Amino acid sequence: MYLAPDGDELEIASAAASYLADAMPVERLHNVNSADMSAAMRTSLAEMGWFALALSGDAGGSGLSAVEHALFFREVGRQCGPLDVLAQSLAANVVQDEALLRSITSGAVGIALAVGDGDNLRILGAPDAAFVLLVDRSGAQLFAAPQGEEKQSLDPATSMRMAASEDAIVASLSGSHIWQLGQLGIAAMLVGQAEATLDQIVEYAKVRETFGKKIGAWQAVRHPCADMAIRVEAARSQLWFAATAIKEGRADAAAHLDAAKHVANLAAVANADSNIQLHGGIGVTDEHHAHLYLKHALLLAKLFGSRRELLANLLDAQVEN
Amino acid sequence: MDLQYSEADREFREKARTWLAANVPAKTRPANGHSSAQFDRDWQRKLYDHGWAGVAWPKEFGGLGLSGLQQVIWYEELARARAPHYINTTYVALMHAGPTLIARGTEAQKAFHLEKILSGESLWCQGFSEPNAGSDLASLKTRGEIVGDEIVVTGAKMWTTDAHHADYQELLIRTDPESQRHKGLTWIICDMKLSGIDIKPIRTMLGDEHISLVFYDEVRIPLSNVVGEVNGGWSTALATLSFERGLGFIGDQLELYERVGRAIDMARQIRLEDGTLAIDDAGIRQKLASLKADAMAIRAMTLADIAESDRSGEPGPKGSMMKLLVTATHKALSELVGDMMGWDFLEFNGDRAAHPWTYDYLWSWVFSISGGTNEIQRENIADRVLHLPRAR
Repeated sequence: MYLAPDGDELEIASAAASYLADAMPVERLHNVNSADMSAAMRTSLAEMGWFALALSGDAGGSGLSAVEHALFFREVGRQCGPLDVLAQSLAANVVQDEALLRSITSGAVGIALAVGDGDNLRILGAPDAAFVLLVDRSGAQLFAAPQGEEKQSLDPATSMRMAASEDAIVASLSGSHIWQLGQLGIAAMLVGQAEATLDQIVEYAKVRETFGKKIGAWQAVRHPCADMAIRVEAARSQLWFAATAIKEGRADAAAHLDAAKHVANLAAVANADSNIQLHGGIGVTDEHHAHLYLKHALLLAKLFGSRRELLANLLDAQVEN
Repeated sequence: MDLQYSEADREFREKARTWLAANVPAKTRPANGHSSAQFDRDWQRKLYDHGWAGVAWPKEFGGLGLSGLQQVIWYEELARARAPHYINTTYVALMHAGPTLIARGTEAQKAFHLEKILSGESLWCQGFSEPNAGSDLASLKTRGEIVGDEIVVTGAKMWTTDAHHADYQELLIRTDPESQRHKGLTWIICDMKLSGIDIKPIRTMLGDEHISLVFYDEVRIPLSNVVGEVNGGWSTALATLSFERGLGFIGDQLELYERVGRAIDMARQIRLEDGTLAIDDAGIRQKLASLKADAMAIRAMTLADIAESDRSGEPGPKGSMMKLLVTATHKALSELVGDMMGWDFLEFNGDRAAHPWTYDYLWSWVFSISGGTNEIQRENIADRVLHLPRAR
């Protein structure tokens, strides 16, 4: 029993952190047309092998586990990274056709994420995506990307459009594997966001002065920062538990994932809120990062289990020691 | 990362579970008075006789020397077996005084006290806080004057839990009258039967009298009872506090999951005032599930903390985070059960066994104030974890 990143896990996390800080820094979102994963970004990530992280060695992947998957997406979350990074990784785990798989892991084609919305599909991610991925707890399906009507998105990191349901299935996989990787990826991104917003306000509290003191010396700032740190600690610990439970194939992995997603939802949104508030006026300006984390967290909170769905599952869930 | 228990850990759990199933007292602990302390002594004696006393204490001092993970297993099994709660009249002796003596005591002090603590023969209380020194402990004023081979103590201590049951007290006093703040303090073992000690119970909002104001009128304590250095008491006191804020509340952390489970069971049976089964109320369902997720995260946080402290050999700085999270979750759970119980929640005769949820609801303020208030815990996090600038 060892519930903290260790050895090679730490190295992968550190490699991901430095690569992503360069490849998709959150600053990118202050430029026009910066939503989603660009073709250039897709190619670069593919060259580094990030889309094939959790793919088996036989299928040409790195053969790493849910733990490394979580460590990578936590770093994506810290940069408010595009959602289609996750869609691309999940699709690589769905497809069996060798040529199609190669086009996904090489970044030749892009994948967007689809979620059902009434009779329609809401599609999230780059407009040039060739395919869209629809995932639920029982399986995953890859469709040719349908034509969609563009919707203005609250989240500057993610494009959104509505399409009528399509049934031209290109590939599919039944079972809960893709759902679990997706839910874990989203929970990890939310944890990364909660950490990033804590780091931002702590850094600011050490330099900004009011009434002749650094604001970090005032208890009105110190105490909410302490609460942010607690949310991070709890959400991160449960994320480690869920990731390891999947890796080890525990019977209660789904329950731990639901809990991880739930506490990560709350942590990311509450910390984004506190970060804006404690920054004061500068926190509501467009030029600051603070609002980007709030808007992206609200989007991620809807995916792979909304609050209501997660809580409904958790009530009766059984867990082991 | 891995979630595998070693063969030794699995065997330990099995052994603990089997023993507890056969040995947990059937009788409920009396709420008050001499019989409550006797109940605690008897249970501790039983643990001692069967080799279960001092789970966190090093083996060379008679404890079990369990790893952090095995302590987790032990407290999980205690909760599962509904064993007598570990926060009772033996708590200060086992969780504060013993570990402090192990860290800083003389050979004679260790030889005299440690076994008595493990076997439940001696109970201890804490004498740190004063009427004008609580969160700001370093402002304490109780004086100790060195006269020959004795220290003569005069002053008052406050919030002393179980003072009237205790045989000994860990007493923190100012021995250098010229000193300020953390300097000039001494940590000394006070025999509670000494003359000049006057205990005045304080009635709390729970209706009990477990805490006291203790007056000292020229109480003469042998100088050989000093633990650590004369005028070096702050350092000795910190050894105790860091222990309390490390794994001191581990039992409460792990017990929460059991308690949420009990509340969910209750919700399946209890009807709200309009006749709805509590579990069918959408608001109650969501809150129960959310508390369950919190309890799961608290367990994961405990395991993550232990992973780090077992490796570094020291308690992590996360005790303050844990205490804040556990006290908040404890209070939210009590409030929710209060909502479900309706009028029954408002019936209370002061007996925990008769009205456990109301008792625990009232106790949630004791929990979030004692052992460092929530506000002081947030200050600790701001200083020690986030390294924010200080105003103090």
